[in-house]
Amino acid sequence: MTANAPALKKKRHNRMPMLAQAGPVSIWMILFVTIPMLFIIYISFMSRGTFGGVEYTPTTESYATLMDATYFKVILKSLEVALITTGACLLLGYPFAYYIARKPPEVASKLITLLMIPFWTNSLMRLNAWMLLFQTNGPVNNFLQAIGLTEAPITFIYTPGLVLLGLITNFLPFAVLPMYSSIEKLQKSLLEASADLGATPRTTFLKVTLPLTFPGIFSAIILTFIPALGTYTVTDMLGGGKVLYIGNIIKNQFGAIRNWPLGAALSVLLLVITALLIFLYTRFAKIDDLEVL
Amino acid sequence: MNQTASKKRAARRGFTKALGDIYAVLIYSIFYIPVAVMMIFSFNDADRNFFWKGFTTRWYGELFEFGNHDLWESLAYSLVIAILATIISVVVGVLGGIGLKKFKFVGKKFIDTMIYVPIIVPEIVLAVAMLIIFMTIGVKLGMGTILIGHCTFCIPYAVVTIKGRISGDNETLQEASMDLGANRVQTFWRVTVPSIMPGIMSSAFLSFTLSFDDVVMSNMLAGASQSTLPVLILSMNRTGVTPDVNALTSLIVVFMVVGMLVSNGFTRHRKKKEAKLIAEAESAISAARSKM
Amino acid sequence: MKKALALILALVMALSLVACGDKSGDNGDDAASTELNIFMWGDYISEDLISNFEQANGCTVNLSYMSDNADSITKLTAGAGSEYDLIMTCDAYMESLIAGGYLEKLDHAKLPNAVANINEAYWNGDNKDYCVPYLMNYIYVVYDTERCPIEITCYNDLIDPAMKGQIGTVDGARNLFPIALIALGYDPNSTNETEIAAAYDWLVKFNENVVAYGSTEQNMVNGTISCMLTYDGNASWAMSELGDKNTLTIAPFTKDAVQLGFDLFTIPKDAKHADLAHKFLDYICEPQVMADNLVEFPYSCPNDAAIAVANDNYKNDPAFDFDYKTNVFFQEDVGDALAIYDKYYQMLKVG
Repeated sequence: MTANAPALKKKRHNRMPMLAQAGPVSIWMILFVTIPMLFIIYISFMSRGTFGGVEYTPTTESYATLMDATYFKVILKSLEVALITTGACLLLGYPFAYYIARKPPEVASKLITLLMIPFWTNSLMRLNAWMLLFQTNGPVNNFLQAIGLTEAPITFIYTPGLVLLGLITNFLPFAVLPMYSSIEKLQKSLLEASADLGATPRTTFLKVTLPLTFPGIFSAIILTFIPALGTYTVTDMLGGGKVLYIGNIIKNQFGAIRNWPLGAALSVLLLVITALLIFLYTRFAKIDDLEVL
Repeated sequence: MNQTASKKRAARRGFTKALGDIYAVLIYSIFYIPVAVMMIFSFNDADRNFFWKGFTTRWYGELFEFGNHDLWESLAYSLVIAILATIISVVVGVLGGIGLKKFKFVGKKFIDTMIYVPIIVPEIVLAVAMLIIFMTIGVKLGMGTILIGHCTFCIPYAVVTIKGRISGDNETLQEASMDLGANRVQTFWRVTVPSIMPGIMSSAFLSFTLSFDDVVMSNMLAGASQSTLPVLILSMNRTGVTPDVNALTSLIVVFMVVGMLVSNGFTRHRKKKEAKLIAEAESAISAARSKM
Repeated sequence: MKKALALILALVMALSLVACGDKSGDNGDDAASTELNIFMWGDYISEDLISNFEQANGCTVNLSYMSDNADSITKLTAGAGSEYDLIMTCDAYMESLIAGGYLEKLDHAKLPNAVANINEAYWNGDNKDYCVPYLMNYIYVVYDTERCPIEITCYNDLIDPAMKGQIGTVDGARNLFPIALIALGYDPNSTNETEIAAAYDWLVKFNENVVAYGSTEQNMVNGTISCMLTYDGNASWAMSELGDKNTLTIAPFTKDAVQLGFDLFTIPKDAKHADLAHKFLDYICEPQVMADNLVEFPYSCPNDAAIAVANDNYKNDPAFDFDYKTNVFFQEDVGDALAIYDKYYQMLKVG
């Protein structure tokens, strides 16, 4: 009994840092994510109230609706947008993150701030600025005509190119920041050592830099791919709203269409798909070792 | 021979550096072109920004008129919320990112998975669910509920960013620090925090940006007394966004850039002062030594 | 650094205390009506009107804003109605809101100005007991007489292949389908799936001609499109933006009805300041008050007495002087059929 006391005390003492560090986030996730999500799952099995809201009679009707081919197409289209956005953001973002990370810390923090300042303006206004710039009688067209590159105005708006530009301007920082914080950790000496050992810059990059910054790349993928999957403002504004994405449909169910159970079921579907993708991705990329997840 | 090789290498390094700078300028211009357009159109002499009609400063005048206190109040409200949401999210998210990586406990896997849910599920879904729950248990809507909503999606961004930073780290540094007699709290502040500072900074930027530009949570979980700026701007779409909003946005950007430059000068000044003090101390020491 | 972080922690603690106080605090004070909480569109009512009302009644008016037409219904359905005293919504949702018991019945005795001034044609039936119309909007077909390939005189002209790439239009299942239903000669608020399916086929052809959904007047002004389906207010901006060079005209429909929608004020169930809300509703129905409001917000108005005293600018706006104003239809609540509309709307946009 007495012999046990110090051991017990030690154990309790060791729990403090765990509670202090993992405690708040766990409590927050349980209170404000798990409970609301359980509620969402619950109403996905209920029926739509004729006058909006939820009628609490159990049914699997919403899930039966999901079997419709329309939703399959919607999800494919959303996946396509998310993939292209993520690809573009990684390709553009990695060199940029690398550029910033190699600067001295004071300069780097300034460059990051400079990157974020445009995001403290309203996203709607920024998208509208692209419209103003590229519209049929807009400055870009006027300029092209003035220097004689084109006779008639070119239609830029509502083209996939402009949508992609809009998506990149919306999501790039979410790829750059995690990659920056990961690349920054890479010791300069490590790269120098690699170079000293006779590795070409290319080998150093492929064999040292890229693998060591993979956790950052993974975070970047999570923070661009997943939000891009549910996005709709950019495609609606710059794409002309001719195509519905999963985000539009879920929004409509909770808004004008007032079919909350279907909206809930669609969210569950989105969760399942994303979980599946992350699972497959981690299996193939073997990133379990990296302990990112 | 050797000299030419090193010259070549230097030239090549210079070229790579120039290439990097050009690339960075290109990336920055993608972000600043829309902002510049927005600022230019704040001087547009037209009731609605369809195209350029002429130069005026009247929108700045209108911004400071009595009738426009709505915009300013919303801006203040948004700023307070964004700052508080950033602080909470960074504290909870950074601690959580470290804690979830370092410790194993019952239900850890579950919390790890839950982190991704607010990023996956469209905001409106969690917003409606929270609204129903808050109304059921009788929570009054207001700044508190908006903050809860914002932190719920900012914390995961902070956690994911921090995890990306610390994964693969080993704890030798922390252990060394503890071996040297520092306690856990000291180790945390003096070793862990500085070593992940870029991650903390990134989380803070992401949280602030997400919160300051949020519409859905800010709208659903808002009480009756006040709306945030993004909600107001989106709401003005009903009757057309007037250029005074451009004027306000331009002022925000100018204010932020100036703020950055000032803080820049301030740190530089402090650094100089510190360097001077150190130099003085060193010369004093060497003077004392030479006397000895 | 350590100090800064410690300070931050202290702030967080303080904040959580404040947040908790927020929860329990305010509930108690239902002080006599000195506060009026309104949920509505932003920049949609004159600030002068609000401050005059505040002075006259010694109260504070809090305005908070919705970002989408459906926000008010989502909030009401989720049970947050009692946070507000007045909620703006539109006529298409009224039946559900009344049947769902989300609204407080109005006391017409307290609304003499509304009863006297609002045109009966726009304020009747069940709705009359639960709402007061504020402003209204037509969905017009506007085309450019110079650039549009054909002359538009009915909805069926919109699916003419010559119109390919010429149209910008309002969005939403319940705005698009009625147009198709009328073009096909059906009830615009049909709940019959065969009719809705036929309307879908019509809209598929229409969709071929559409460049963009959403707000379109900017495209009309800069020449991207030559025909738009838009609200009368937006048509008015586009015309005034073009000024002397205006070649836009409202399609002279002879037989097809156009949609007329309302922005209404309702008092949610258990509103804390229903008394003051009635006073406000009656105040905005005073002819001169509304006429002054129309100077700033020159939209179609159901208040005949106010239009009579409105200024000439308002009376002479080309977008509001319009023959088929009488041949209109209203959006009705279609109840469960909304799911059918949504199904076809998704098919339309997904292909």
